[in-house]
Amino acid sequence: MEFRDNKAIYLQIADYVCEHILLSKWKADEKVPSVREMAVELEVNPNTVMRTYELLQNKNIINNKRGIGFFVADEAIANVKDYRKTQFMEEELPVVFRNVYLLNIGFDELQTRYNSFVKENFNS
Amino acid sequence: MNNTFNIQRFGLLLKRQWLEFGKIFLITVGVALGVIITFYTFSLWDVFFAERPSFSQRDLGFREPLFIIFGFLFITVISSSYFAHLGQKPKAIIDLMIPASTFEKFLTGVFFTTILSVASFTLVFYLADLAFVSKVRSSFATVSNVTSYTDARGQVTETVDNAMYFFTKNFPEKFKSLFIMVPFFVTSVFLLGSLYFNRFHYIKTAISVIIFSGVWSFILYNTGRLLFEGKIMIEHDRQNFKPTDAGAELAIFAFFAVLTLIFWTIGYIRLKEKQV
Amino acid sequence: MITINNLNFGYNKKKLLFKDLSMQLSAGHIYGLLGKNGAGKSTLLKNLAGLVYAQSGKMDVLGFDPAKRQPALLSQICFIPEEFYLPAVKIDAYVKANAAFYPNFDHTYFANLLAEFDIPAGQKLIDMSYGQKKKLIIAFGLATQAKFVIMDEPTNGLDIPSKAQFRKIMASALTEDRCIIISTHQVRDLDNLIDTVIMLDENSVALKASVEEITNKLCFKRVKEIDDTIIYAEPSLSGYNAVVPNFHDEDSKLDLELLFNAVLTQKNKLKPIFN
Repeated sequence: MEFRDNKAIYLQIADYVCEHILLSKWKADEKVPSVREMAVELEVNPNTVMRTYELLQNKNIINNKRGIGFFVADEAIANVKDYRKTQFMEEELPVVFRNVYLLNIGFDELQTRYNSFVKENFNS
Repeated sequence: MNNTFNIQRFGLLLKRQWLEFGKIFLITVGVALGVIITFYTFSLWDVFFAERPSFSQRDLGFREPLFIIFGFLFITVISSSYFAHLGQKPKAIIDLMIPASTFEKFLTGVFFTTILSVASFTLVFYLADLAFVSKVRSSFATVSNVTSYTDARGQVTETVDNAMYFFTKNFPEKFKSLFIMVPFFVTSVFLLGSLYFNRFHYIKTAISVIIFSGVWSFILYNTGRLLFEGKIMIEHDRQNFKPTDAGAELAIFAFFAVLTLIFWTIGYIRLKEKQV
Repeated sequence: MITINNLNFGYNKKKLLFKDLSMQLSAGHIYGLLGKNGAGKSTLLKNLAGLVYAQSGKMDVLGFDPAKRQPALLSQICFIPEEFYLPAVKIDAYVKANAAFYPNFDHTYFANLLAEFDIPAGQKLIDMSYGQKKKLIIAFGLATQAKFVIMDEPTNGLDIPSKAQFRKIMASALTEDRCIIISTHQVRDLDNLIDTVIMLDENSVALKASVEEITNKLCFKRVKEIDDTIIYAEPSLSGYNAVVPNFHDEDSKLDLELLFNAVLTQKNKLKPIFN
């Protein structure tokens, strides 16, 4: 995994875990890699991974079974989407809006673009 | 855990140091053996290989100076190299971080430089002497390795073996304790030198010893003169001064023993305070 | 776990390198020790290991005074110096001679580390390159299971794959009862590995804070223009890379190089933020 420059590492790790859950690589009730395994894989400090897992726990995406490890929560996918949606709305959308405004892009044009994008990528 | 001395840890340390120091040590012993054999070969060349081989007591006369001078060189070279690497940062760090006490580390040094070096030199010299002198004895057994002396009345009073083994001839019956003490003292000085200096340990130690003993004799001689000149009568005839007294031996022994202990103590403190 | 109180140290008495330096380290962390050349990174590490003696001050490492060089403490310290010397023997001979001094030495772990670092077990130390030797002493040091791990520029001399292996190994080496301190001037090598930054400057600790604390208090971001709120900025392709106070609880990624330069140049602005 390549880390990007501008986002806190623990959040990038959270994205990485969420990605795996959304793509169903890790399913509900399955064990997620331990803090140590994850730290080794990503070459980061275990305390950083711990911080990620605490965040994901608060969002009810994973839960901690004492003594066994972390598991994907039952309603994880819904919670991931929720979490990602808030993130998108707060962080990425303003950037898009800024460009839409600056470049005078009409909402109709966006609509058609969006439709064909969905068709190409997700409906085939 | 005993933090000063633990016999098991000391054993481990001896093994560990042997791994590093052993190679230099064995090479030095090998060189010593080579030098000793060379000396014997050169000196006894004519005895064996001349057209008419002959042997006299004088042919073995080189052994005492060889033993003393070369033995001195050998033990001083060994002891001035033992702690020498502590002068180099990268080597010193690894050594100082080994989980053994400073006392154990110093004791290992004493073992290698004093006990092992003296013992191995003696052994090597003994073996070389054994080989060559045995050869001499077997070659000249019937001819001339024994000289008989006759007294004025023509009676045989004494036989002298001309080809005695070195350690048979020089077995220290009288000054035993001193013979043991001197190498201890010499190695303690050079061991301290290897701890004290960071580079050129041998030459610096040697120069320091020369300067120090020079200054020391100068002071002793002059204070002696100042204090006693014209005040004490030495009666040669009655011999009120006998250097062979048992008391004198004990005094000299004690003097060297105390000096050795002092040098070891300074060395130990020096090792304790070594920084990199 | 480790306490330094009012340390005064100098290689000569007139010019002190550390003045009244105090600091605490606790288990379960990887500390990154940063500082300019000559700021005393190596010297501080040597003080902690008892390799040099301070003029005054009190040090407590795992309940011991490191200056006494007691075996009980030495067997709990793994010290990886920047320059080191290994005897010309085979790896197994080296391990056989040295491992027994460490009561908790783990031979299986050592074998695993060697495998991870791509070092053949039967190799002779004399045939190994500097980087390989370095990997060997790192593997040996970690296999001692020492509680206190001190590393002076450990990534110096490691090639690119080895650096990644090193990061993986260090990530797995951090346990709750272990304290790791690593000095480096190649911050990018260890960027995500350290969780607490210690910066030395002007005879003392200029900054000691966890990455979390730093990013809570400061925000690292790209800006178009410089204004009054900015603590420190460096020009970049698209404007400036800047350090600003984190007024809006933004999450940003710690930029160690930027922080380093900010600490060196803007001490007065940063001090109130971290006190």
